[in-house]
Amino acid sequence: MAVSDAVAALPAKPENRQARTAWGLTAPALALMVSILLVPVIVAGILSFTNYSLGNPGFDWIGTQNYERLFTRSTYEKMFIATFTYVVTVVPISVGLGLGAALLVHSLGRIGDIYKTIYFLPVMATLLAMAIAWEFMLHPTIGMVNRTLAMACGTWFEVIPFFANGCAEGFPLWLGDRDYAIWVVCFIGIWQGFGFNMVLYLAGLTSVHRELYHAAEMDGAKSGWEKFWLVTWPALGPTTVFVVTISCIRAFQVFDTIEAFWPQGGGPNKSAYVMMFAIFEKGVQQNLIGIGSAITMLFLVFVMFLTLIQRWLVERKVHYG
Amino acid sequence: MTRGWWKHMVLILGAIIVLAPFYMMLSYSLKSPGEIDRGVGGFFGRQEMMVDPRCVALRQPDRADIDAARARFPGQDDAGIQAALQAETETACSMRPVVFNYTKAFTEAPLMRYLLNGVIVTVSIFLIQIVVALPAAYALAKLRFWGREAVFGLVLFCLLIPVHAIALPLYIMLAKLGLTNTYAALVVPWTISVFGIFLMRQFFMTVPDDLIDAARMDGMSELAIVWRVMLPTAIPALLAFAIFSIVAHWNDYFWPRIVVTGNRDLFTPPLGLREFKGDGDGSFFGPMMATATIIVTPLIVAFLIAQRRFIEGITLSGMK
Repeated sequence: MAVSDAVAALPAKPENRQARTAWGLTAPALALMVSILLVPVIVAGILSFTNYSLGNPGFDWIGTQNYERLFTRSTYEKMFIATFTYVVTVVPISVGLGLGAALLVHSLGRIGDIYKTIYFLPVMATLLAMAIAWEFMLHPTIGMVNRTLAMACGTWFEVIPFFANGCAEGFPLWLGDRDYAIWVVCFIGIWQGFGFNMVLYLAGLTSVHRELYHAAEMDGAKSGWEKFWLVTWPALGPTTVFVVTISCIRAFQVFDTIEAFWPQGGGPNKSAYVMMFAIFEKGVQQNLIGIGSAITMLFLVFVMFLTLIQRWLVERKVHYG
Repeated sequence: MTRGWWKHMVLILGAIIVLAPFYMMLSYSLKSPGEIDRGVGGFFGRQEMMVDPRCVALRQPDRADIDAARARFPGQDDAGIQAALQAETETACSMRPVVFNYTKAFTEAPLMRYLLNGVIVTVSIFLIQIVVALPAAYALAKLRFWGREAVFGLVLFCLLIPVHAIALPLYIMLAKLGLTNTYAALVVPWTISVFGIFLMRQFFMTVPDDLIDAARMDGMSELAIVWRVMLPTAIPALLAFAIFSIVAHWNDYFWPRIVVTGNRDLFTPPLGLREFKGDGDGSFFGPMMATATIIVTPLIVAFLIAQRRFIEGITLSGMK
């Protein structure tokens, strides 16, 4: 508020008065932005070099030990593997499915709207509730998934090794099996997210000019495939950049499903021990704030890096005009 | 239509997978435990009267009950009276599975309280976001002052920071202030929406200056201009932002999970559901799915009614 006091001392020219009100109007937002967004980043940055715990009177500086731990201990190796497996699986597939669904829905015209509504439902629904619903679906004995799979037993489906094994020895435990756990989580991430991407792509598709397709036909693009690569895909460039970035950021933040399935430990053999869960477990539950802060800092670096790449790409695209 | 049949095939297959958990959730919330275990009864279940075992166990007739009921069953020995009373309790405790599931959802846990908390938290977050963001957005869009570029630069920088990512330092700060396990802890981190500021600023840029000048001529203060001139022009953008904000915070699980520990009075709906799952044994699938249905339904229904607005609101982050 020092600025507005200084301004108040000056003779009240209209510009000064406006400046004073302007600072007055932005002050609450500014104060909250600094105290809720900037200060915590700095706090996390500082604490990541300490061994602080809540309730302790003080802390010791331990240099980069927390970060060294992150890069040497096998638990954190598992954390990075789980996080990147999730991101690298969920992002391309949910973007691809989103685009595919958008193209199909768009080509159907008004009838397509019904699919749009259905595919958007998971985006709206409380993820935690749906995770619990999925957990029941995947229940090894009374779940719908394994019951449905079991129906294929005794039919020609048994040619497929997966079914042959399943019918002979029982279908997978899914959430209890470390070979499947992370993939199930990925599947639910895709299930939840692709509708969101589809809607963004649909918005992008409506802005592609019809004339461009005619022009492409003039140039000899006959098949739908050629037209897609020649017109649609480049026109959707900015949308794709945005969709990929936002999918990445959301994928990095996966937590609800993991905590719902495995309240302790992050999955069988820590196979689904993602970063957000690690921050929660180490920092909040075990009160190891130093290491939790170090993970937080690393997480912020990833997310900021992604967003900066996106902004850079978008600005470059703008010049293509 | 005939040429597009393969498209419908693909899309319907997708729709089945998308809808499967919703179908299951709703179906289990209607069925009896037995039907869920055996996987029978179709979607609605047979809705045969079922006996609530916990209710019967609670009302097990004891010595005093038998003595008290002696007058009603003249000429019977104790065992006979006990059997008769047992039968009465069982009738009193029997109900349709759907009624059982949904009453259990509300009686096993204070679900009503959780829902109310959800409403309190989401609504206060939204209102505070608006009170903070609108004046700032107006100043950034329409007022000229020294430092405006710097403030806007800060807004753009803060857009890079997801609040969930800095949950740990926020939690520490709130704990130091003694605010964990309060409504404040649930609301405070979300009071500033840089995205809201950014969005409303972009929107206010398009409002003609003449409108503001006319208001100034009428002697309105700048703050009055924000609420009486700018706010009404911004209703569509505000509505989209409201949907964006409310959906995000009704569904949020991560942040409440961190700052609310143990105190059930502060549980938001997702936390309540989590608790339900935590202490439920296998036989409580029905009531749990009823709880899940109740939590998911308000937003889904609102979405089905005002689809276009919802899609606009949720994908708002895409319109930069």
